[in-house]
Amino acid sequence: MSDTPYQHLRDLPAHHILGTGTPMCAGCGGLATLHQVYDILGEKCVIINAAGCMTLLSVYPCTPFHGSWLYTAMASAPAGAQGVRDGLDILKKKGRLSREEDLEVVVLTGDGSANGMGLSATSGAMDRNLDFLYLCYDNEGYGNTGQQYSAATPHAARTATSKGSLGYPGYKKDLFAIWAAHNPGYVATVVAAEPLDLARKIERARGLSGPRLILALAPCPTGWDFEPSASVEIGKLAVATGIWPLKEYVDGRVTHTKIPHPRLEVRDYLKAQGRFAHLFAPRENRKMIAEIQARVDRYWQKVD
Amino acid sequence: MYRIRFHGRGGQGMKTAGRILGTAFFLAGFEVQDAPRYGAERRGAPIFAYVRASRNPIFERGIISRPDLIIVADDHLPAMPGSGVLAGAGEQTVFLIYSNEEASLWQERLNLQGSVFTLPPLAENELRFRGAACAGGAAALLAELDVELLAEAVREEIDPLGSELVADNLEVALAAYAALAVNRGTVHEGGPVSAIDYASPDWLKLPCEETLLSAPAIHAPATSEMSQTGLWRSERPLIDESRCKRCWWICSTFCPDGAIQVDEERRPHIDYGHCKGCMVCLNQCPTHAITAVPEEEAAAQGEKP
Amino acid sequence: MNRKLLTGNGAAAWGARLARIDYLPAFPITPQTEIIETLSNWIEGQELECRMVTLESEHSMLTAAGAAAVTGVRVFTATSSQGLLYAAEMLYTVAGWRVPLVLVNVSRGLSSPITLEPDHNDVLAMRDCGFLQLHCATCQEVLDNLLIAYRLAEHPRVRLPVLVNLDGFYLSFTREPVQIPSQREVDRFLPPFEAGSISFRGGEPLSEGVTVLEGSAYSYFRYQAHLASLEGIAVYEELGQEFAKLFGWDYSALECYCSEDAEIVLVMIGSFATKAKEAVDRLRETGRKIGLVRPRLVRPFPVAALRQALAGKKGVAVIDQNLSPGKGGILHGELASVLYGTPEAPAVLASFVGGLGGRDISSEEFFEIHKVVQRAVATGITPEPQLLYTEEELRSLRKMQSVARAVRSNQGGGA
Repeated sequence: MSDTPYQHLRDLPAHHILGTGTPMCAGCGGLATLHQVYDILGEKCVIINAAGCMTLLSVYPCTPFHGSWLYTAMASAPAGAQGVRDGLDILKKKGRLSREEDLEVVVLTGDGSANGMGLSATSGAMDRNLDFLYLCYDNEGYGNTGQQYSAATPHAARTATSKGSLGYPGYKKDLFAIWAAHNPGYVATVVAAEPLDLARKIERARGLSGPRLILALAPCPTGWDFEPSASVEIGKLAVATGIWPLKEYVDGRVTHTKIPHPRLEVRDYLKAQGRFAHLFAPRENRKMIAEIQARVDRYWQKVD
Repeated sequence: MYRIRFHGRGGQGMKTAGRILGTAFFLAGFEVQDAPRYGAERRGAPIFAYVRASRNPIFERGIISRPDLIIVADDHLPAMPGSGVLAGAGEQTVFLIYSNEEASLWQERLNLQGSVFTLPPLAENELRFRGAACAGGAAALLAELDVELLAEAVREEIDPLGSELVADNLEVALAAYAALAVNRGTVHEGGPVSAIDYASPDWLKLPCEETLLSAPAIHAPATSEMSQTGLWRSERPLIDESRCKRCWWICSTFCPDGAIQVDEERRPHIDYGHCKGCMVCLNQCPTHAITAVPEEEAAAQGEKP
Repeated sequence: MNRKLLTGNGAAAWGARLARIDYLPAFPITPQTEIIETLSNWIEGQELECRMVTLESEHSMLTAAGAAAVTGVRVFTATSSQGLLYAAEMLYTVAGWRVPLVLVNVSRGLSSPITLEPDHNDVLAMRDCGFLQLHCATCQEVLDNLLIAYRLAEHPRVRLPVLVNLDGFYLSFTREPVQIPSQREVDRFLPPFEAGSISFRGGEPLSEGVTVLEGSAYSYFRYQAHLASLEGIAVYEELGQEFAKLFGWDYSALECYCSEDAEIVLVMIGSFATKAKEAVDRLRETGRKIGLVRPRLVRPFPVAALRQALAGKKGVAVIDQNLSPGKGGILHGELASVLYGTPEAPAVLASFVGGLGGRDISSEEFFEIHKVVQRAVATGITPEPQLLYTEEELRSLRKMQSVARAVRSNQGGGA
């Protein structure tokens, strides 16, 4: 990572190019990620979107993008990327598109599409070794429809469809591992609260080819039930407690880019969010908190 | 208009036969329509192909209901229920049957009113060339198709499948043509259906029926056994009891159709009603206790299915 | 010009080849597969310069097709039946992008029960998506309509994707003589696509497929697609004339066969319409004044031409090779809306449903349809909708039903 131009926080872009005025919620962790990513990618890209919160970025006649955008459908953004990439390559081959006019093809979806309906199209794009970047803003639920649980919802979280005392009974799908199993060009987790780590990873992904995933934890004030001002704090806690490991996959190897030491207790992260309030009141559910802690511990034991 | 139907089984080259004849007609200046017809079933199952040829544009489509010529590429087919070989056959319908048996025998057996010809297998390894043989035989019965047209059509249709196949197919097609050439012009063009004295279709007003009956669900087990897939077989596996070591599992486990049952004394029994003749059992038997016998021979020896 | 025996699938592949397509997103499905196989062989043999990619579903295939069309390349794709419905969401979506591409659908009846043989419920289920629909009756029309389809889709007054429909089996696997024009002749009719504003490229921002949250704006955009589609009628007629000048035979939104002086007219779409022509010829020989009117365009629907062609007729029989459960034949309803309230509307508009799941329609049945409509004209009483289904068919179905419910003694025991 020392080969990137982003050595210190002061190296981060000072000029921000994503247009303001979008309808995203105040404190949106996903939007924070997108603007940081867009600053590094630049405007010469075409964003291929699937149904989710970010579909509302481009509401006629307003768009925050200086470059291009194509909304497809919830299930098939990677197939849209295939069509655009192939179309651009055909034009280049025929001399109808110059090198300077070429675009980076970037899929932008939430966790609902990435882990569920769009997974078949994603896997297909990886089979075909499509040259594209996939940015998933993971707010751990179907946020745009009011935060029902998705395959990316963490265990015990309260969502609009898991309101019982135990919260969501399932466990978060390991999208990182699913991607890595396809042996793609690059896979990385990021969070907007760690902008230097994010910038380095985007820069690295840009320099590689093939399918590349940037999986961003996207703290969601509305869906996770916390004050918008705490958005960065929550992101930092996710990293510090080890719940959101920052890592990357290149050439068959997984490397952790930030190992929290000492690791804070997961309860610090859980307690900061309304979606886990039922674990602390009316009575503290020690067993479940311990179980969540144990899963995180087991993960890091394997890393250490 | 000539209306011609080829009947055979998947793998016997009926699509190719139809295309050769269609192309021959086309080269002779006819308007042509040809198509194969097959369902979900595969190799060995009955299929057919049809050819229409006319000096005028052809508006008819689909299955031929009043054929002028029916070619039967497999003489087991007429006996198979649902093969449709005889459908629509009348006085004017000429039959060409690929068979070693006498034409008169078939005429009697199937109670056919029109002319019947047979075409005995002509070549070694004849299955590969059966399509060409049937097309050649059919061409011989049609006044407008001569040897040159047939040869050109064979070349045109076989070449895309592999240029090395052309010579052998040509030889077989021309031999079949020669064998039947004395009957040239036997088949005549049929006329259209009369719009005056036609048989009215007996349409009905379909009643609304209870769901148990009117939904496409099968409420009975293993009804596929009613399909006598043993009729697909051209060779029959026979077990030599003296060589069978009664291993009890090899042939019966590997039989894809589950058509070999083992009795209490570990003796395997082949269900010839359903054995398709794939010969996996023959290949797998470690003691070589299974041999393949042509169906006709087995039948002649009184080996009852 | 080279006259050859081609299947409908072969004719579709030739049409795509002569249109010099740039991009072919694909997915196999019976009875369409031969089209993409043929094109893929040509690409591998370097007879066709085109990029082919097999997607993991028809939904993705249509997404890739539309997305590539937004870059300004010429796109071709093909599907059938279940595949068309699996891609349904993207047909609506891509139509809204207002970019040109051509999709061939090889009609096949829809599940359930699942089948392989043709009827038109698949393509008519996509009636309202915004794609223009050209319906072919012969293999020649498949090739020709593909060339016209690109002109239509790329026409500045239209700019909508076009679906070219052909029937499974009856066209897809059936060979007929087809005139294959030379590449030089086709190039004169169909020049390369000048994409203009349709392009993704650096320095030219384009946001496509954007959200429109407010009903008023939504109404405007959706209705614009409707108006553009309606433009397609006149454009198709113009292209049909231009085609005639170059190739010698013309195309029109309606095929009218012996209908001018006819008293009774059959209306149907697709390849079974040639069977109707055969019946018309036979009935004409006996002095009956009967004709056929076949819409080649189903979307846009040539309303004015239909009114004109059917004005003053005594009776019309619509033969629907489709079924809308709870209503009946779809074209019958469409025709009723075309004719209702017009001064010379035929008094009898009879509905027949036939050819579902590839079920044949015999010459005798066409004769009988004529007879039924003739009787209706005489009595002034429009007959009830009739399914073309005979006593004999029901008897054979009864046999199947008895098997499906049979109690069997030797379960799983073999013979």
